[in-house]
Amino acid sequence: MTREGSRGMARGGAGAMTRGIAGVMDRDRAGAMGRGLARVARRRALIAFPLVIAGMAVLSLYRVTLGFPLEYLVLLTTMLFWITQATSWNILSGFTGYFSFGQAAYVGIGAYTTAVLFGRHGLNFYLTILLAAVLSALLALAIGALAFRLRALRGEIFALLTLAVPFILAALARINQSIDGGQGIIVTVPDFPSGVGLFQDYLYLLNLLVAGSAVAVAFWIQHSRFGWALSAIRDGEEVAEGLGVATFRYKLLALLASAVIGAVGGSIFALQIGFVTVESVFHLTIPLFVIVMSVLGGRTHWLGPVLGVVIVVLLQDRLTVSGLRQWQLIVLGAVLAALVVVAPDGLYARLRNRPVAALIAAVAVGLGWLLVPGTGLLDALLAGILAAALVAMWPHYRRRTAAVASVGGAPVNGPSADGLSADGLSADRVPADESPVVMGPAAGAEPRTDGPAPSAANETELVAAAAAPPDTADASSDRASSVRPVVLGEPLIECHEVARYFGGVRALDGVNLTIREGEIVGLVGPNGSGKTTLISLMAGSLRPTRGTIRVGGHDLTQLAPHRVAHVGVARTYQIPRPFASMTVRDNVAMAVMFGRSPRSLSAARELAEGPLDVVGLGEYADSYPSALNLHQRQLLEMARALAADPRVLLLDEALAGLTPAEIDNAVAVVRRVHASGVAIVLVEHLLRVVKQLATRIVVLDRGTCLAEGDPDEVLADPAVVRAYLGKRAHA
Amino acid sequence: MTTIQAALSGALLGGLYALMAAGVSVTWGVLRIINLAHFGLLLLGAYLTFELASTWRIDPLLTLAVTVPALAVLGAALQWVFDRLGITELNSLLLTFGLLIIVVQAISNIWSADFQRMTAEVNPYATEALHLGRLAFPLPTLLAFGLASAVILSGHLVLTRTFLGRALRAYAEDRAVASAFGVDHRRIGVLLAAASGGSAAIAGMLFSLGSALTPATAFEWFGTVFAVVILGGVGHLIGTYTAGLFVGMLSGVVSVVLSPAAAPFVLFSAIVLALLLRPQGLFAVGTAR
Repeated sequence: MTREGSRGMARGGAGAMTRGIAGVMDRDRAGAMGRGLARVARRRALIAFPLVIAGMAVLSLYRVTLGFPLEYLVLLTTMLFWITQATSWNILSGFTGYFSFGQAAYVGIGAYTTAVLFGRHGLNFYLTILLAAVLSALLALAIGALAFRLRALRGEIFALLTLAVPFILAALARINQSIDGGQGIIVTVPDFPSGVGLFQDYLYLLNLLVAGSAVAVAFWIQHSRFGWALSAIRDGEEVAEGLGVATFRYKLLALLASAVIGAVGGSIFALQIGFVTVESVFHLTIPLFVIVMSVLGGRTHWLGPVLGVVIVVLLQDRLTVSGLRQWQLIVLGAVLAALVVVAPDGLYARLRNRPVAALIAAVAVGLGWLLVPGTGLLDALLAGILAAALVAMWPHYRRRTAAVASVGGAPVNGPSADGLSADGLSADRVPADESPVVMGPAAGAEPRTDGPAPSAANETELVAAAAAPPDTADASSDRASSVRPVVLGEPLIECHEVARYFGGVRALDGVNLTIREGEIVGLVGPNGSGKTTLISLMAGSLRPTRGTIRVGGHDLTQLAPHRVAHVGVARTYQIPRPFASMTVRDNVAMAVMFGRSPRSLSAARELAEGPLDVVGLGEYADSYPSALNLHQRQLLEMARALAADPRVLLLDEALAGLTPAEIDNAVAVVRRVHASGVAIVLVEHLLRVVKQLATRIVVLDRGTCLAEGDPDEVLADPAVVRAYLGKRAHA
Repeated sequence: MTTIQAALSGALLGGLYALMAAGVSVTWGVLRIINLAHFGLLLLGAYLTFELASTWRIDPLLTLAVTVPALAVLGAALQWVFDRLGITELNSLLLTFGLLIIVVQAISNIWSADFQRMTAEVNPYATEALHLGRLAFPLPTLLAFGLASAVILSGHLVLTRTFLGRALRAYAEDRAVASAFGVDHRRIGVLLAAASGGSAAIAGMLFSLGSALTPATAFEWFGTVFAVVILGGVGHLIGTYTAGLFVGMLSGVVSVVLSPAAAPFVLFSAIVLALLLRPQGLFAVGTAR
């Protein structure tokens, strides 16, 4: 460990280990503090939430005593209706990123069920709410079962499907006049307890109950495994699936929750409007409002839609009062278009960044507005809120540029920039065997006149590796260390005659491969030889066209993709795909949470420390992936894969684009992982690395297995050299 | 006999749907913008024709001289903005949804939400019909079919036979590589959006010939047009054309044989089946993507 640790520490996360225990303790404390804060915020919300609901209920129950104007109660009722709808939308579309344009379908089903059964046929009102929820859930099941099964274009297709659904339902209701009698339905006032006061009070309390429950559900979802799964789906669905998240099930559950909440809100809406027509409940303004509200408030937080509703409803109310009713939708459409461009993350996040300034602006402008003669309280309120919103949105650009500037030396993106700075740092650490031996006659290769162009890099590597056996102290000492000799255990992955075609392209054709316990299999081959396809097949994210793949006795083709993680296969991606909205620790915790034995978030966060230490990223546990460089992101990929507690780890070019020093570090990490008892399949172009690490090499060429066996023998095989260098090279 | 009549009339009407869908399909396939605002352009085209014909007494067909350039410029301007802002596919849905609402509401403010129809004296085509034996085809439908077919097929020829078309297809296939080979995506995008806007003007005019207008019409097009886009395969013009005819014929036949109420369902089921069996589009052959 210490020997490994002292090697290749030029930069990067592994520095944490040399810094020793003090660093680890610091980090733990910081992490604990961060998590503590989150817990405090959550507890505060848990206390504040019932208080707010109770306070709002009091407004109605003691309305007369308090002198609370009825018109305000009406406005609040409208807000509550929209809070229900916006939250319903947000649970699916905000949390998972699957945009729905079909909110009107739920409202319509709810309103129509109540209107027809209660209004026309006199069924019990509360029973109709229940029926509406059931009907809506059935519709959601049908949509979800269809849209979420599709692999290609899923987000877009889902959006378009949901766009079409309300129109089809509306056409159905309009044409089948037996449903609503053709004229629209009058919904009478149901019996309600006399204690609540007027019908408006009853309506308000009903809406309060439903909206409160909806927000509570959203709150619960966001703070549970469910919510983490939805976030992971939003950030990277395929990755989430690979880590063991049952994406289909979670999406369907979110869709169901959304549909039920929307329909219940719609049922009460029927009472509220009193007269239900196709136009009033299936109208496209419903999804428009809901989307504007959620996008404005913030899609990733349970409170976002609430915030958006308050602003939009107030704005709409003031526009109507000012006689600008026909401008309402134009304003809202413009707000939506502008938001998508300017602030797609919404107000909530912005407000959290500068709450004080926003509050000051709100109070100042609000009070100032009150002084203007002829304005009401609501005008002032709206002015204040808009001022706060402006303040919260405004300084964003400056802050972002400042952030980029401060990151400076550790580039946020782009392997090229990364490579440049890293090269400067570690130029003195370039290992000896990296120096070109391309002209060496021992290789048997024809000297090339065009020099070592970038495309010739592979050849250089191959020639160097094949021609010069342990010629540097570096490589030989590596070999002598822990890895070999290996005791081979039971077979973990067995590929039998596996073929995969993409249309007419035969990416793989008849590959047989067995990965055994304790192995590090180097999978090499020219570009396009099918390496990544084979990895994807073994990870279950692709299905073979022919042949079988068995993992620990399970037939992979019979296994849902998320279950592959549970039978012990984990992979990394060639281009790292971290969950951007989560910290490094939570990225790893995701894999633990949804691993073989499901765990709670707090337990998973504890367990995430292990893999983070193995790859040496402990220091960065509380950073976001955007702050990591390419090497660190690749380490994060490995940590996340390890956290799933795999028996086989598939590394897809985990070393691509790294500097020599970073490669040495990554090699050390791979050894540590292997030493912990995980078999590894390594796809890599750097033959030096493959030769150092692999216990066995498999060469793929044009979709078939060209050679297999001991690294030295395989790499000296004339057929292999030819595959890499072309025919002329061996002539 | 009524069934045959319905099938043929439906197919003719389907040509118009195909023209409406063509703009959506190509901008989606090539530019990766799901342009809901296209429905706004269609509506605008229809209303402009209505206005020019009713107020200025211009022959509806001749209004194209005004509406086509106007909407082409509008479409191009929108695309220029989208490109500048670097809009992603999903965000384009939200953004153009907002724009669509603005257009529809503005139209409603200007022309009111009531149904509007060109009177017989300004629209000489509405009352004419072509009789073939016992079959009768209203002239607006025939015109719609003929013009829509001409526009789509010439669009297809441009895409397959010209350098510009090849550049577009290359761009749809792989943006980075196409750009590296000197395909100027900004210019291509604006050109394509202009063509799409122009087609919207034609489709809008054709629609206004045969039907009464109301702002909500834009939303009623959604189901059919997206059915055509998806069945035809995103970005495939000939596929879109075939799908348009198919969808029109299907709706026509189902309306007569079963009931008009069933038509949306059959259509919806067709989309669903197509998505399940052939997500790349039922009639997808040739051209982009």
